Amino acid sequence: MVVKQEEKSVFDREELMTGTDAVAEAVKLVDVDVFAAYPIRPYTGVMDRLARFIANGDLDAEYIVADGEHSQFEIGKHASSVGARAFVGSSGVGWLYAMESIGVTATDRLPLVALVGNRALDDPGAFGVEHNDALLVRDLGWLLCWASTAQEALDTTLIAYRVAEDPKVRMPAAVAMDGGYLTHSQHMVRVPTKEAVRDFLPTYDLGNRRMHPDNPVSIAPQVNEDWVMELRRQNYEAAKRSRKVITSAYEEYNSIFHSDYEDPFIEETNVEDADTVLVGMGSAAVVARSVANEMRREGKKVGFLKIRWYRPYPTDEIRKALSNVSNVGIIERNFAMGAPDDGAITMHDLQSALYDSKNHPRVVDFIAGLGGREISKKEVRKMFEMTADKKSPKVSWIGLRE
Amino acid sequence: MMQTQKPHLIRLEVNYRGIFQKTLAYHISGDVVYAAHKEGKTAFSNGRYSDDPQRNGIPCANFAYFSKDLTEEDLEAEASASMDITEAEVVVVLDDTMVKGLEPWGGYGIRPINEKVVKDGVVLIVSNRKPADLIAQMEKKKFPYRIAILPGEASFAGLWYFKDDMTDVRVLGAIAKVAPEIASIDTVANYVASKYKSKEKAAAARKAYEEVKVSTVNAGEGIDWPYPKPILPGWKDFDEGVYVKGVKRGFQMGPRGQNRNPDFKRGTSKTQRPVVRFDLCTKCTLCWYDCPDEVFDPTTDGLYDVNYEYCTGCGRCAEVCPVEDCIVMVDELKFENQDSPYVLYKKDPENYVKWAEDKKGKERLMPSPVTGKGSTVSKVETPKPFKKGVVK
Ligand code: SF4
Ligand code: SF4
Repeated sequence: MVVKQEEKSVFDREELMTGTDAVAEAVKLVDVDVFAAYPIRPYTGVMDRLARFIANGDLDAEYIVADGEHSQFEIGKHASSVGARAFVGSSGVGWLYAMESIGVTATDRLPLVALVGNRALDDPGAFGVEHNDALLVRDLGWLLCWASTAQEALDTTLIAYRVAEDPKVRMPAAVAMDGGYLTHSQHMVRVPTKEAVRDFLPTYDLGNRRMHPDNPVSIAPQVNEDWVMELRRQNYEAAKRSRKVITSAYEEYNSIFHSDYEDPFIEETNVEDADTVLVGMGSAAVVARSVANEMRREGKKVGFLKIRWYRPYPTDEIRKALSNVSNVGIIERNFAMGAPDDGAITMHDLQSALYDSKNHPRVVDFIAGLGGREISKKEVRKMFEMTADKKSPKVSWIGLRE
Repeated sequence: MMQTQKPHLIRLEVNYRGIFQKTLAYHISGDVVYAAHKEGKTAFSNGRYSDDPQRNGIPCANFAYFSKDLTEEDLEAEASASMDITEAEVVVVLDDTMVKGLEPWGGYGIRPINEKVVKDGVVLIVSNRKPADLIAQMEKKKFPYRIAILPGEASFAGLWYFKDDMTDVRVLGAIAKVAPEIASIDTVANYVASKYKSKEKAAAARKAYEEVKVSTVNAGEGIDWPYPKPILPGWKDFDEGVYVKGVKRGFQMGPRGQNRNPDFKRGTSKTQRPVVRFDLCTKCTLCWYDCPDEVFDPTTDGLYDVNYEYCTGCGRCAEVCPVEDCIVMVDELKFENQDSPYVLYKKDPENYVKWAEDKKGKERLMPSPVTGKGSTVSKVETPKPFKKGVVK
């Protein structure tokens, strides 16, 4: 990558990094005060690197190894409530073990940022990617997004802090990425300077809610039916407001770091004039984009739409992008047993977003890549072909051994 | 425009031992990508996700991919959509005991080290042994390929500690020799000099380039190497839920008397194995009791046989054995088979002791008591004489 002369000041260097290295670098750049840890692959990658930063004197932070994920997330939540910028993370069943804490971090409206290194919910034992872990928080008041490259992992972590801590939002944010495919793959990443990140990300300030000896407050008191509904409405509005905050965060990120995030929420590859579009999240995007470009070169009118932010859901963006498309297929790295039409999770959100739009594209669903099973070029091509074929079933399993 | 031609693609595999060589392997697979970038090539690397690099000695692999004409995204789509690769143009082996085979996880059997090498590809091994000795332990191929030996002992260090004995840059120099299409030696040496700010490291890379010895392995050279095809049933072919058949309880005195998991033997984790002088054994039970992998089979005469198929070479038994020289860890490559040492001993005690002392040799590798310092070599003068009648 060519770094232009005037860009030099905002970048420190380019380095070969895994997705977890990139996240650790971002955590260092936002100058976290508290890093809570409990080992699980692939979060261990972030732990390793942050431990080294602290040991080398590159970062001054509390590194707290908890006795399990539940405590780890509690540590993050409490740190956040006293005005400390904190980072946590886990994957698969580790993330689930922390679920009680994850739920209340959202209802406490604390802007903690977490990494979910997507991993199958074992049993049976499996490290490979599935998105069910992260998707479990889609309705809990967490902001939720997927990174599909190491660069995006770094950028998105920085942006997640900015959005989460914004006084108009103050919601926790989860940055998800595919275990294995992104977390263990090394690519070149442009690393911003500390100064430039400081310009982008204001100091964390929880305002009147900050728990401090000089500001004694009791967080999460017993309120029962007196206040809960009103609190939910506050949270609901904050989630709505977060769309605008995300948009302006990306605008500023683009202008400071010369990145080219055209739309913060979705990323389109040849979608504009396509008849057939595949939609997906995470690292499958890398293969899907490559195939979409290849098929374009063959003259086929296909495109790929990557969803980056899943909460808040990009309703308008999806409607706009897919309203003139005839066939939409969704690559789902998740499952939803017994759901409507027996489809997986993201189909239902996508269909309901499209329901009120004028043109309904035909929507089919592909359950693929579960438990880390590869989604190869051949399979993406097959999904494009099946999506274009009006006779193909509503839901298909791709890459399954029959 | 249709893409008809196969894109230019080089796949490199770095085989290393969990913990001891994790950092080393990451240095190599990362640096080789940087070097290729210097020549304007597209390149990236990844680690095999299902490996256990945080476990002692477990065979693990990193990969790096290079192309002259693909974009990074297209290269990734082409090369690494899956977690393992099936073919490699360059196979790097950081510890020569891995030529005895790899069993990275259960159900796949013990795979030959040269499983993935393609026709005219190259297997580059860090070793002080002769090519013929190594080829004699590798799988017979239907096509010719090359073997390259970079002189040197396997470089081992701890999980956090990186032992900078220049193996990293020496391997880079050797790669430049065997696969100059990845990066030339000048590119490698310049990159090393600037990255490590060290003329010595650059010189080491150049020296390795000169030292590495490349020879051809003809089709049919090597040994037959049967390994099971993993059983991967269709979704209707197994019972609902998931379970695998457990190992039946079973216990008999004597060699191979205990039932162990036939689908995952773990023995390829070892770089050294315990050699037991049964004639010195006091039957204290400590080796049997302490072995973390339950490798010892008790025998009716109170001795403990070793099942080498399951031994991970951790050295615990040698540490706990209270009798000097009774259990000594010996380089795994010195052994031809996994046969029961107890059976050998019972057949001919005198010869067994001679055989054991011969394997042990006079140079003893002793792990350093301080982690990360490698090992020390101590000389043992004369092997203790065989005392007849100690054991009935
Ligand atoms: S080296 Fe000794 S203790 Fe370790 S696995 Fe082998 S037999 Fe057991
Ligand atoms: S530890 Fe040594 S002395 Fe004790 S039973 Fe084992 S081999 Fe014999």
